[in-house]
Amino acid sequence: MKKVLYLFLTFALLVLTACGNDTTSKSTTNDTKETTESKEVNLYTARHYEVDDQLYAKFEEETGIKVNLIKGDADELLERIKREGDATPADLFLTADAGRLYRAKEDGLLQAVSSDLLDQQIPANYQDKDQMWYGLTKRARVLIYNKETVKPEDLSTYEALTEEQWKSRVLIRSSENIYNQSLVASFIEINGEEKTKEWARGLVANFAQTPQGGDRDQAKAIAAGIGDVAIMNSYYFGQMLNSMEPEEVKVAEGLGLFFPNQETTGTHVNVSGAGVVKTSKNKDNAIKLLEFLSAPEAQSTFAEANYEYPVNESVEPSELLKTWGEFKEQDISLSVLGDNNSKSILIFNEVGWK
Amino acid sequence: MQRKLANVNMWTVSAAIIMILLFLPNLTIVKGIFTPSNENWAHMKEFVMGSFIKTSFILISATAILTIVIGLSLAWIIVQYDFPLRRFLKWTLILPLSIPPFIGAYTYHGIVNYTGVVQTTLRDQFGMSLNQSYFDIMNLPGAIFIYTMFLYPYVYTITRIFLSQQSASLIESARMLGKGSWRTFFQVVVPISRVSVIGGASLVVLEVLNDYGVVKYFGIQTFTTAIFQSWFGLGDIETSIKLAASLMGFVIIILMIEKLLRGRRQYSYSTTKVRPLQLIQLKGLKAFLATSYGLIILSLGFFIPIAQLIDWTILTFGTIPMSEFMSYVKNSVLVAGITATVIIIFALIVGNFSRLVHGKVANLLPKLSILGYSIPGAVIAVAVVTAFIGLDRFLAPLYQLMGINKTLVLSVSLIMLISAYIIRFFAIGYNSIESGYDKIGTDFRDASRLLGVGLTKTFFKVDLPMLKGAIISGFLLIFIDILKEIPLTLILRPFNFDTLSTKAFQYASDEKIMEASQASLLIVGISALAIYIFYKFLEKERD
Repeated sequence: MKKVLYLFLTFALLVLTACGNDTTSKSTTNDTKETTESKEVNLYTARHYEVDDQLYAKFEEETGIKVNLIKGDADELLERIKREGDATPADLFLTADAGRLYRAKEDGLLQAVSSDLLDQQIPANYQDKDQMWYGLTKRARVLIYNKETVKPEDLSTYEALTEEQWKSRVLIRSSENIYNQSLVASFIEINGEEKTKEWARGLVANFAQTPQGGDRDQAKAIAAGIGDVAIMNSYYFGQMLNSMEPEEVKVAEGLGLFFPNQETTGTHVNVSGAGVVKTSKNKDNAIKLLEFLSAPEAQSTFAEANYEYPVNESVEPSELLKTWGEFKEQDISLSVLGDNNSKSILIFNEVGWK
Repeated sequence: MQRKLANVNMWTVSAAIIMILLFLPNLTIVKGIFTPSNENWAHMKEFVMGSFIKTSFILISATAILTIVIGLSLAWIIVQYDFPLRRFLKWTLILPLSIPPFIGAYTYHGIVNYTGVVQTTLRDQFGMSLNQSYFDIMNLPGAIFIYTMFLYPYVYTITRIFLSQQSASLIESARMLGKGSWRTFFQVVVPISRVSVIGGASLVVLEVLNDYGVVKYFGIQTFTTAIFQSWFGLGDIETSIKLAASLMGFVIIILMIEKLLRGRRQYSYSTTKVRPLQLIQLKGLKAFLATSYGLIILSLGFFIPIAQLIDWTILTFGTIPMSEFMSYVKNSVLVAGITATVIIIFALIVGNFSRLVHGKVANLLPKLSILGYSIPGAVIAVAVVTAFIGLDRFLAPLYQLMGINKTLVLSVSLIMLISAYIIRFFAIGYNSIESGYDKIGTDFRDASRLLGVGLTKTFFKVDLPMLKGAIISGFLLIFIDILKEIPLTLILRPFNFDTLSTKAFQYASDEKIMEASQASLLIVGISALAIYIFYKFLEKERD
């Protein structure tokens, strides 16, 4: 009995070492040249909005190129591409955060593409400097405040939220969330690591409650009187104003939107964006899809249906976004968001931002 | 010597293969223990580990205790007494299992939060000003409540099947000896149902340890949070695997405690007549209390969240094209059905092996193979992807021979997803089948063997019929679990393959819980239907 088991264990270990050893698969890369005129593009996307699906359907209709989708969490998709290595079917990686795009680039998963159309439709500051990825939509991390208890004049900067007057009044979701990680990462770039840690510590001291729930829950917590000002993503606020639940609309209507740091460093902005995967077998189609998504038509669809800001400057934001007014954005390369991401995690843990 | 030789047969060989295959991907994790630690690990240890461990510990022990209290008491009441609505409660009390805990969390938060039905009503109809802290469920007690309400059926189902099938003679002897209901309960029922109670509770504990949706939404930091944080936040998969390995070590301890608590006692059938217990008729207040108890639990775990989901579905109806849902339903049922079937077959083989073969190896191996249940889904996913890509590369020349011009074949197919499910959920099937085997013991098999019937024939003629209850409840639990499963399905599914749960999760994670309600309701509907069909089937079997 034992002998049989040992035999199997040995066999299993052999298989495992064979599996784990990448060098055994050298010869498998040149089988991928078969697709010269393929009619499909494989998209790994961390965005899962209805409006995206509609845009892909439209793209298929116009070009005859089939969009195959795997949706998932950005990090998990990245991990999958990494593991699949040069045999990955992925052509395009799309996610809702510049930090993750940066990580994809750093991990050597993306390739540079050049397209006049893309350069024309997407301003340089929303592209990777090596053209490894392109931003497609913008979201601003703004202050949402209680119109009853807070006057817009009381608000100024993210930094000012650590002042005494905001004690037990500030709301923000957990540090687990990538939007917060990128926010702090941008601060590390602008104010330096030490100052950012100080700021984070001060903010935690002014929290109205332990971070919980999503962005919408922060707005509701203001309405419920738990706090007075929340750091929130602009597009969630747009969604609440247009919610199918009347109560949510009522909550949103009692709240104001403020773009912080207008006199100083600008409001923090993050992008959704995409990059062509290094080993893409349908590179041309992937670029076509990028061009399509940054073209005016798709850009205004993003803005209208999802309350995101278009990156294409020829496209007007939706009516709702226009009522919030124009604003000054942080002037940093979005790559730093990824660069500083782990530093922000360490800060969160140190200052006890749950 | 002769006995040893007799053991090397189809059964042991296939059992060994299954267990090794189940354990292989986990080796990646085990390996992680031995990699040297880096500064992220030191940081984790210094700043967060202590509180993460404490929180996890409180979460699992409180949930385990509460699910045991609720699950065992309900099982006992249903098995022992007759009261109004008993037949209805008997099967509907399993239904909370059909609601994924993260949907439950979103739903309950939706009900009690500021814009939810409870507060709006109190505010608008009664003009009350409300203290928000009474309505805050996004905290540790809230999470315990959610897990308890949606996971207690593990304990309830397994214990009820155990009590109703085998305990009749023991309990009736206790009654005849003049013991009252309470004493019978504590002196007979509790001890004899220990195996199934602990089996059910350990499933609950593992499920809680593994869940990410609820704790993430509620902002509670547990061990699983730490694994995800170091992996995705710090981009440090080594630290994350080290954490997963520690978690696995912890689970091994739990399993050992389970084994200890179970002790050497065995309660197998002493006669061939397995008959249900004679029900005691409850009347008056007692009947009322029994019915209300069942109904309250059922409402909290099922009717209340369902009502909210229905409300949201009505609000959002028509915003998602109906036609899409048909394919999600098809996909969900397909993968859940296939996986559950395969797992049950594997569990029968391994369970039979561990019963027939004595010795340390035989006892240890099945335990190892269920470790998959202790590793967070996302980590399993990576282990499985790695293994399958390796396999694909290994098989690439073969693919070429077959005229397939690709390197990745298996790893972009459903086979990979289903394999991951099997690794992940084998524990559920195995626990069920194992308690079934425990119950029938080996006497009947030995008798059959003495009469000169072969092992395999004995299995089909003697063991299998007696295992029917365990097989069906195991299948059911796996089926429902896979309908609800999230991380594996998200990461490992092939292109353009959506299930009801991935759809519900995507909406929920975009904070569109109202839109998530339609897919959630379908998950619940299918699970409920499955529970009902199997229940009816079981009833018929028993008559």
